[in-house]
Amino acid sequence: MSAIAASTDYGIEAIQAAADYIQSKLKGLQPEIGLILGSGMGLLADLVENPIHIHYSEIPGFPVSTVEGHAGRFVIGQLEGRNVLVMQGRFHYYEGYPIKATAMPVWVMKKLGISILVVTNAAGGVNAGFEQGDLMLITDHINFAFNNPLMGPNIAELGPRFPDTSQAYSARLQTVARSVSTTQGIHLQEGVYQFNTGPCYETPAEVRLAKHLGADAVGMSTVPEVHAAAHCGIEVLGISFISNLAAGISDKALSHAEVVETMDIVKDKFIRLVRGIVQEM
Amino acid sequence: MELNLLQKINAAAEFIRSRITIAPEIGLILGSGLGGFADEIEDAVKIDYQDIPHFPLSTVEGHAGKLVIGKLQGKNVIALQGRFHYYEGYSLEQVTFPVRVFKALGVSTMIVTNACGGITQSLHPGDLMFITDHINFIGDNPLIGKNFNELGPRFPDMSTAYDKGLITLGKQVAAELNIDTKEGIYTAVSGPYYYSKAELRMVKGFGSDTIGMSTVPETIVAVHMGMKVLGISCITDMADPDNLVPLEHAHVVAVANEARPKFIRLVAGIIQKLP
Repeated sequence: MSAIAASTDYGIEAIQAAADYIQSKLKGLQPEIGLILGSGMGLLADLVENPIHIHYSEIPGFPVSTVEGHAGRFVIGQLEGRNVLVMQGRFHYYEGYPIKATAMPVWVMKKLGISILVVTNAAGGVNAGFEQGDLMLITDHINFAFNNPLMGPNIAELGPRFPDTSQAYSARLQTVARSVSTTQGIHLQEGVYQFNTGPCYETPAEVRLAKHLGADAVGMSTVPEVHAAAHCGIEVLGISFISNLAAGISDKALSHAEVVETMDIVKDKFIRLVRGIVQEM
Repeated sequence: MELNLLQKINAAAEFIRSRITIAPEIGLILGSGLGGFADEIEDAVKIDYQDIPHFPLSTVEGHAGKLVIGKLQGKNVIALQGRFHYYEGYSLEQVTFPVRVFKALGVSTMIVTNACGGITQSLHPGDLMFITDHINFIGDNPLIGKNFNELGPRFPDMSTAYDKGLITLGKQVAAELNIDTKEGIYTAVSGPYYYSKAELRMVKGFGSDTIGMSTVPETIVAVHMGMKVLGISCITDMADPDNLVPLEHAHVVAVANEARPKFIRLVAGIIQKLP
């Protein structure tokens, strides 16, 4: 299936080795907030002050990012006076990684002492009330990938065998996000994010199905990371950027170029919101 | 070193090219009980899958396992007599490999057929249905893994996977031949078991008209490479959860055999009218 060979089992040894390596580069800095940046959002990482850059490729046990528009490195430093660890580029299931690999960085964050995770992504709008360029607060998710990163031996020192995901997205952080969006005058949609494997965009029938299942947006990431966060007790805030209306909701053909273009138009809004939220957390 | 997908495609295409003198334009994938259609191909060159480098081998009953290349209605066609199914244990990359090879041989239009269960009450065993859209409920996708830009984009659009022009053409041909046809949505599941009533009710709730175990992976890969796809299902049994009778593969084949003559007339008529 995949051309990417699994170099590790992405188990506790690999997680610990990656955390130790990153720790050795931080010169005593203690990151508190993790941010995972989705398609077209990588520029937020450029705003991190006193940045330390660590490429995924140099981290023992880490997979390497391949997708267009994703850089593939950690940027660690300060944002709004808070110590943050930003993932500029993430690992996607559709790239052929084992699903554990897509979630592994979150367990590494846990080892580094991070207690809050902000996950962002570009998603297709399924809710007819959404418009291209909207930002959506993720209130819940549907895993439609027929796989999850918690399969296999449980790493008991990180979390329980049967983690609860009924409150995977922190109510407290959602309140912060709503309050910041009101203060800044940014309209924030809310909804359920459905994780599909991709990499092809959904058919109109699949989009109607997502709607039937109760989803407001569809995308190809985030949920495995949130599974890992829920497993190890990291508080999560999720924000989707509605880069396009999903097939059948809009008549237009979908393209990755459009996702990136739309992000360019609304990036200022996105950056203001995330900075504001980080400040208020 | 193991060859990558591109190299495997090229090796298979090169081998096939060395055996044929025509350039196929239309690709046919023939489902359960419809493999006999390949017997109508004139000046046929037949190549066993096992002779083609990197081709998987077919295992299911009723699937012969040959490529047949030749003329149908004056058009150059290549037919997959016996397809590869996910439930046989192949990866989706293997299942869709023949479509990749078809494209490398110059095929631009795919006609994909299958036998499937009808869920919508307006469908009946023996009906032929043009697939207007699909739901991939297999739990896997043939495009997962490294993308080769030479083949197609990383994130292909699937908003019109089944070519509207070909469906219109198909309906015209059906009308001329006096063959009744339906239209509907096809949901692919992994199989190989036939679904439970509760599962069928779920798929009905999805908005699907039919359920089957093939076609969607091949369509995704064809669309990925910019090919035009026409999908035609033969309804071999009713998968209506509230009026269910126990199902056997032999029965599916029997209904498919009965529908075969009109199915063959329809596909032959469409091929004749293709530009």
